[in-house]
Amino acid sequence: MHYFMIAAILFLGGCSHIGNVKPWEKGTLAKESMQNNRGNRLLTKFEKHVYFSKEASKGGGGVAGGGCGCN
Amino acid sequence: MFKIFTVMIFVSSLWAYQPGDVVSPEVGQKLGLQSDKTYVIDFFASWCISCKHELPLIEKLSRTLRMKNIEVVGVDVDENLNQAKAFQQELGLTFSVVNDPKGEVIKHFDPVGMPAVYIVKNAKVTHMILGAKDHIDRLILAALKEEK
Repeated sequence: MHYFMIAAILFLGGCSHIGNVKPWEKGTLAKESMQNNRGNRLLTKFEKHVYFSKEASKGGGGVAGGGCGCN
Repeated sequence: MFKIFTVMIFVSSLWAYQPGDVVSPEVGQKLGLQSDKTYVIDFFASWCISCKHELPLIEKLSRTLRMKNIEVVGVDVDENLNQAKAFQQELGLTFSVVNDPKGEVIKHFDPVGMPAVYIVKNAKVTHMILGAKDHIDRLILAALKEEK
């Protein structure tokens, strides 16, 4: 069990070097394939409608400005 | 944990250029800046929708500013150089553009959002306009007017 814990800590320690994505590094995130439903607007609209009907709230489901970090 | 996070953010902001900071000779050389001139430096990328909206305005403004001896320098941060060049060609940019695929220039400015416009006068950062803005040309002109 102890070995497993040590191995798990070492394994997760490898993630520590991953820093924040800077605004100018968001090119990949801005790709259409990275959007929900792979950019299928009709499906997204449908899902938003269902969400709004069920939860009586909307918004917060997208990345403003195409993921470029814009205001 | 929160304290560490706050300190990390504070320390990282110390490295970013702020108004009043002097642009290092290394960065100035990469951008082709002269120490006795005023520059408008615009960081953009082809995937940034707001940059695409702003660039035609900046292009138009660059022609007016050229007559006042103020240069616009674009910095394209696209990782793909061919994509960057195609984007610049598509927009028909006439001002000088420095391609920065590895982020060697932008990391010194470290803007919190894109697009990012910096005004550099006599190698000193005087203004910065970050994020998507309506009428960026008017904002740049207003910032330049403040310097006089």
